[in-house]
Amino acid sequence: MTPTVSASGLSLHYGGTRALDDVSLRLTGGVTGLLGPNGAGKTTLLRVLATALPADRGAFTVLGHDPGTARGRQEVRRRLGYLPQTPGFHPDFTAFEFVDYVAILKEMTDRAARHREVRRVLDEVGLADVRGKRIRKLSGGMRQRVALGAALVGDPGFLVLDEPTVGLDPEQRMRFRELIAGAGEGRTVLLSTHQTEDVAMLCHRVLVMAGGRVRFEGTPAELTARAAGRVWSSTERDPGAKAGWRTGTGAFRNVGDPPDGAELLEPTLEDGYLLALDGDAVEVAA
Amino acid sequence: MPRLSRELIFTACRTLPWGVVGTAGGAGLLLAALTRITGETGERLSLHLLRAAVLAFALGLVFLLDDPARHTTATVPTPRPVRFTLRVALVVPATAAWWTAALLLVPPDLRPPVADITLEAGAAFALAVAGAAVAVRCTEVTRPGPRVAAGLLTSAVLVMVGWPGRWALFVPVQDDRWAAAHDRWAVVLTGAVLVGALGAVEPLRRWSWRGAPGRRAAGRRGLRRAGRSARVQEP
Repeated sequence: MTPTVSASGLSLHYGGTRALDDVSLRLTGGVTGLLGPNGAGKTTLLRVLATALPADRGAFTVLGHDPGTARGRQEVRRRLGYLPQTPGFHPDFTAFEFVDYVAILKEMTDRAARHREVRRVLDEVGLADVRGKRIRKLSGGMRQRVALGAALVGDPGFLVLDEPTVGLDPEQRMRFRELIAGAGEGRTVLLSTHQTEDVAMLCHRVLVMAGGRVRFEGTPAELTARAAGRVWSSTERDPGAKAGWRTGTGAFRNVGDPPDGAELLEPTLEDGYLLALDGDAVEVAA
Repeated sequence: MPRLSRELIFTACRTLPWGVVGTAGGAGLLLAALTRITGETGERLSLHLLRAAVLAFALGLVFLLDDPARHTTATVPTPRPVRFTLRVALVVPATAAWWTAALLLVPPDLRPPVADITLEAGAAFALAVAGAAVAVRCTEVTRPGPRVAAGLLTSAVLVMVGWPGRWALFVPVQDDRWAAAHDRWAVVLTGAVLVGALGAVEPLRRWSWRGAPGRRAAGRRGLRRAGRSARVQEP
């Protein structure tokens, strides 16, 4: 299968800080999750792949085009949807007007066709009823959906979503998950998130980043499997554990290298994620 | 592109900071009208007030490229220079009207040579927009206006106070250096337009010694290698 994104040796520095360090990856259709702690380089990677920020070095192609050239970048942008971490709006615009504005910037010049597309997208993100409402009067979750609508307008082949569920209440998050799952049908979605549940529920692939490097690349099941035999229960916090916390039952859940005879627990994606962060070497699952 | 621009005009017009530009314009007109209001007859004072009016309006223009939706529209295919040019083009008629009004508010006998003072105004406005364009290119902020305004105001004060006399820009009409000063204003205008044009262009590369061409080529070779190994891994 031809990858939607193929990157090799991407590096980027902010002054003395290494935000991306020799990142190589391939993305194909479906939803790929990007996990990592704050400062891991997730947003920087997303911005580079979305052509919002040029890398210092390395090369990549998106949808067969090289964003390192003006023409290639233009071609990529014609088929790209990008939802930034902190989407901004013109607050006096209505939801319809704002998505229409983005559609014009996406070179949709036929007004009737564009308006049809804007209505379709607003329907898709569940904002049909409030499309005439000014953005400043919409809730945070609705604004986030306006931004997703703006990213989806024009039916992009590659969708980049930077922490779209942050700050949303559980119900809104569930609604957003449905939208992202729908968006992942027939296109490639790269989803950056802090929520391992989002990845477990939505993604067919997962990347874990830390310190500007990709620490893990594989399926959510493979990431979970990394923690098999490395999660155990104890009555006291185990000082040898990489991470440990008291659960609702009062027992401690520990992640790391268990002592002999430990009561092993079923691992979760979060356990695998914690262990992937801890590893020094880059591990890319086959 | 013309069709795109036609579609964009109305919406782009709504995204402009008309409130700030209008306030700055109003303050500028008030300054320009002070000679007429107070009945002052000093030609020098009239020139100073007209320059202050220009500065006030320029301080409004630095907000022209403020865009709260900047990050949301960061990766649209319409190139940034097109978007910037459209924004600038949309305020040109208003700026021309404002400038005409400002000149007319100065009594005819106190009015400085129109072509020369218009050159000064044009250079100041171009500097304001160029400063905003550079701020957009070099920072991630959505509203660089306040910082650029502070920089423009500080620069104007420093130029008035401490600029070497032989390179003077702000000279009275009767001064022997008036013509030479306006040659320099022409240079400032040209420089501002060039800087503004450069600032409007979205870079394809970050400036970095680490991004030297050889290293970039190595990255492309790496991509080809990655592609080959990926093909090998596929079933």
